[in-house]
Amino acid sequence: MKALRNYIDKIKPNFQKGAKFGMFHSTFDAFETFLFVPNKVTTKGSHIRDFVDMKRTMTVVITALIPTLLFGMWNVGYQHSLMIGENWTLWQNFWFGFLKVLPLLIVSYGVGLGIEFAFAQSRGHEVNEGFLVTGILIPLVLPVGVPLWMVAIATAFSVIIGKEVFGGTGMNVFNPALLARAFLFFAYPSHMSGDNVWVAGLAHGAKAVDGFSGATPLSNAASYHIDSIPSTYDMFMGYIPGSIGETSKLAILIGAAILLITGIGSWRIMLSVVIGGLSAGFLFNILSVNPYMDVPAWQHLIMGGFAFGAVFMATDPVTAAQTNKGKWIFGFLVGFMALLVRVLNPAYPEGMMLSILLMNAFAPLIDHYVVQANIKKRLKRAQKVAQ
Amino acid sequence: MENLINIFVRSVFIDNMVFAYFLGMCSYLAVSKTVKTSAGLGVAVVFVMAITVPVNYLMNKFLLLPGALSWLHPSLASLDLSFLSFIMFIAVIASIVQLVEMVVEKYSPSLYNALGIFLPLIAVNCAILGGSLFMQEREYETLAEATVFGLGSGLGWFLAIISIAAIREKIKYSNIPKPLRGLGIAFILTGLMGIAFMTFMGIKL
Repeated sequence: MKALRNYIDKIKPNFQKGAKFGMFHSTFDAFETFLFVPNKVTTKGSHIRDFVDMKRTMTVVITALIPTLLFGMWNVGYQHSLMIGENWTLWQNFWFGFLKVLPLLIVSYGVGLGIEFAFAQSRGHEVNEGFLVTGILIPLVLPVGVPLWMVAIATAFSVIIGKEVFGGTGMNVFNPALLARAFLFFAYPSHMSGDNVWVAGLAHGAKAVDGFSGATPLSNAASYHIDSIPSTYDMFMGYIPGSIGETSKLAILIGAAILLITGIGSWRIMLSVVIGGLSAGFLFNILSVNPYMDVPAWQHLIMGGFAFGAVFMATDPVTAAQTNKGKWIFGFLVGFMALLVRVLNPAYPEGMMLSILLMNAFAPLIDHYVVQANIKKRLKRAQKVAQ
Repeated sequence: MENLINIFVRSVFIDNMVFAYFLGMCSYLAVSKTVKTSAGLGVAVVFVMAITVPVNYLMNKFLLLPGALSWLHPSLASLDLSFLSFIMFIAVIASIVQLVEMVVEKYSPSLYNALGIFLPLIAVNCAILGGSLFMQEREYETLAEATVFGLGSGLGWFLAIISIAAIREKIKYSNIPKPLRGLGIAFILTGLMGIAFMTFMGIKL
């Protein structure tokens, strides 16, 4: 460790502005801060001194995502073994999934970080840690069968159009990971929906055993095959086909616990998303026009990406509402709209992605009116005191 | 009644004037710098649309459609004046905007001051003409349907402009690349918001 520190100190002068490698200033800076805690302080602007800086925040979120990632890898193997009708061991399942998921991770990190570094170089700012989380989220919200070049395109789109043009990490309006997914969803719908994409190997015409469909619980429900929705236990534990990270609600709950205990995820948003989803669900149960509306409200919470979106996507501190009251409104509408799209919109089986993106667009507006209302309230109070 | 609700929801969310048809972009981009002014313009658009679409509906039904003039004299039943619809609609919109302006100025000076330059500007907003042309093209059956459609389209436009105005207020201090500042980022934002509004595509009520 000491030797590394000395080495970095030795080569540092070469990377100062105006020196031999001055143009790689921010790349050097990124690696230095990645390896060591820098002793730099902010020089201008108001800021809060806190133990939890951006690097630490991002590290906690990645830690919270690890359970879903590991389970997702195992589940990729498990679904494949179900499809070919063989009984694999835990390690066989995990190894198969590991080899399938790792390339997705490498591509998303490689492309995304490459673009981040290029932008940081050309614009002369530091490389931010924001993409470390986005880079792991992108593979987690995709089906396992998606081709690698699509992952690359989607990542490039979301990093450039969704984030860098707005000024980089912390300035984006839409959640970059969901933007990548939405981009693929509308550009290459055949690779992002249907019953063949969720299980590795199924799309290439491999022989599946009889009785194996590869359909997700949501597509079962959308086609009114309510009987073939897997058992609650299976859906909760995650033994179902789906996007890599979304299947296991247990792993997501572990992640949620980590986020809540460290105070990095907003409990207001998580709670209000659940409340919004439940109230839409109960509303449908009362209306009960078609079989899909009869699906119990609580069951919606463990189907599809609802839990994953509520814990990891809606709570994004940049794109969600910033005010506390705004968070309640934002979360409630996310949950409500997600179920509305699921049940009422035959074009999309899952509504979580689009409802979060939609509310991202409205979050600043919600904040604006919450702040205005607060100003009005305080003004009234002040006038009362003055009288 | 159900039909009216359907038309209303469709025109606000699914067939949103801005995000589905990209109409009324000039004032949408030019005036959306702060929430307050864009709310003023939005209210004016709602107001004008809810009046012009039903009026144009009546024009269309009793003057322009093939055989529409037969109420005047039976010999006019073979007349088809629909080629005049563009000029007719624009004339109606322009004169109604003038009328509305005068009425508002007379009876509610505070609203008139709040709307300011926006009222006359609206006369040339293509979302307004678009609303009337959609009304003609989609062949709404009754006056109520046309009114609800006009109101809904106006509200959809209102929603679009205040939401982008809030975002533009938020990103005012972001370090956006120089060439993209101002209109450039507004175009990109509109596209991204269009993706978000795809949420409603295909909803059937």
